[in-house]
Amino acid sequence: MTEQSMEVLRASASVWGSATGIRKTETVSKYIDTTTCIGCKACEAACQEWNDLKVVATRQEGSYQTLPQLDAEFWNLIRFKERTSDDGGPMWLMRKDQCMHCAEPGCLAACPAPGAIVQYSNGIVDVNPTACIGCGYCATGCPFDVPKFHKTTGKMAKCTLCVDRVEVGLEPACIKACPTGCLQFGTKEEMVRLGNARVTQLKNLGWTDAMLYDPPGVNGTGVVTILGHGHPEWYDLPVDPHVPWGVRLWKSVVRPIGVIAAFAAILGSFVHYTRYGPKVPPEDRT
Amino acid sequence: MSTVGRVDRPIVVARNRDNVIVADEIVRHRFATRLIHWAVALTFFIALFSGMPIWTPIFGWMASLVGGLEAARVIHPYAGVAFFIASIFQFVHWLPDMHFEEDQKGWFGPKLISYMRWDQEPAVEGGKYNGGQKMLFFAVNLAALGFLLTGIPMWFPLQFPTLLREICIILHDIIFILIFIAIVGHIYLTIAEPGTFRAMMRGSVTRRWARFHHPGWYEDVSREEPRK
Repeated sequence: MTEQSMEVLRASASVWGSATGIRKTETVSKYIDTTTCIGCKACEAACQEWNDLKVVATRQEGSYQTLPQLDAEFWNLIRFKERTSDDGGPMWLMRKDQCMHCAEPGCLAACPAPGAIVQYSNGIVDVNPTACIGCGYCATGCPFDVPKFHKTTGKMAKCTLCVDRVEVGLEPACIKACPTGCLQFGTKEEMVRLGNARVTQLKNLGWTDAMLYDPPGVNGTGVVTILGHGHPEWYDLPVDPHVPWGVRLWKSVVRPIGVIAAFAAILGSFVHYTRYGPKVPPEDRT
Repeated sequence: MSTVGRVDRPIVVARNRDNVIVADEIVRHRFATRLIHWAVALTFFIALFSGMPIWTPIFGWMASLVGGLEAARVIHPYAGVAFFIASIFQFVHWLPDMHFEEDQKGWFGPKLISYMRWDQEPAVEGGKYNGGQKMLFFAVNLAALGFLLTGIPMWFPLQFPTLLREICIILHDIIFILIFIAIVGHIYLTIAEPGTFRAMMRGSVTRRWARFHHPGWYEDVSREEPRK
């Protein structure tokens, strides 16, 4: 269900949202500092608990990671990546995987069901299960492979950025649970400022290629991530995510041409009949 | 069929025979042909009314014909599979009549334009169907295969890689746009050429219709007519 107290900036398969622009709403964002994450998974547990998600059977794949990927019943996953550094030492990278709440959401662009995916005026991207038809197009549109199909409900499910907490002035459950402070929540502006300061600090500490991950290809995300190493792919993050070209081509080129062609064919038939009339044998023509 | 001294009505003959003259009418499509045609048409339209509202909200109203958008998502793939199965029957059943004769080349171009202008008396062409009908036959059957192949990754999206899904969605759309235009033309020509619709309903046409629209076929059929 879309949150009643929130203004909808954009809705899938709809021309307009409901945001009037009268009320000023700050864009919100999570802040994730992968350099101070200790992999305790408190955020995973808090997410499951707050969102009433059932306990998912974990899968052992030779890693500390709970599941290989996100699930319809598991919206917050700490990814554990092991690498060997240049000097031969071990690297154990952790990154909180979840919906990135893109400013330009590919899921929303791809969704065919009116109002099934909404972007609130504070930037949160949410799935509305009552309108969702479970077609999975959002998964095709998502550059981060986030939305998952829920077999019981037949709908898609993903992180809501705890919109039901945010709308009443609380921070998301994962943020609340984080013991190290590597997770923060606030306005996008504030989080980017905090992130830039942290990156500068990291660089001074010797993390020379530290970076703030806020990809411009999707106009930035509602989750800014500080990466200790400037290689997003080391953390299972796309280097330059954007709404897939296929989705753009389909929605912005093929579909409009198709709709026009469909109406033109019908209209053309009427015009043809008006011009030529029925085709009858010469002896019937009067 | 007909017993000595008694002439059956065309609709009775049309249960299992075609290309024969019965009294003043000519049986064009026997019952099996008509049944297959309408099975293809019905499954096509169920797929159309459940697919178009998912394609764009402009046709969202069509969802109400199948019970809403969610029902459309459930029904559409099954309707599509049914359409494909019906198309297999159609392909096998019609194929012998669908060979392009030498004088039917060039239908995708000048002959089609000339035909649509009603400005020529149809040339005597061999075979039961004209070039346009044969093109539609192959287009529809090819589309049925294309819809199935591109539809499966869309049916089970999470089992296939993203890039394949994107390509399939675009191809599914393009095939649909082309076939939609073809079907509008098919239906329009049935309306614009009086006497055509009954061929697919009752199975028979008038001699005048046959002589005018399919002179080649009319010659073949009347050659076999027993002399009185």
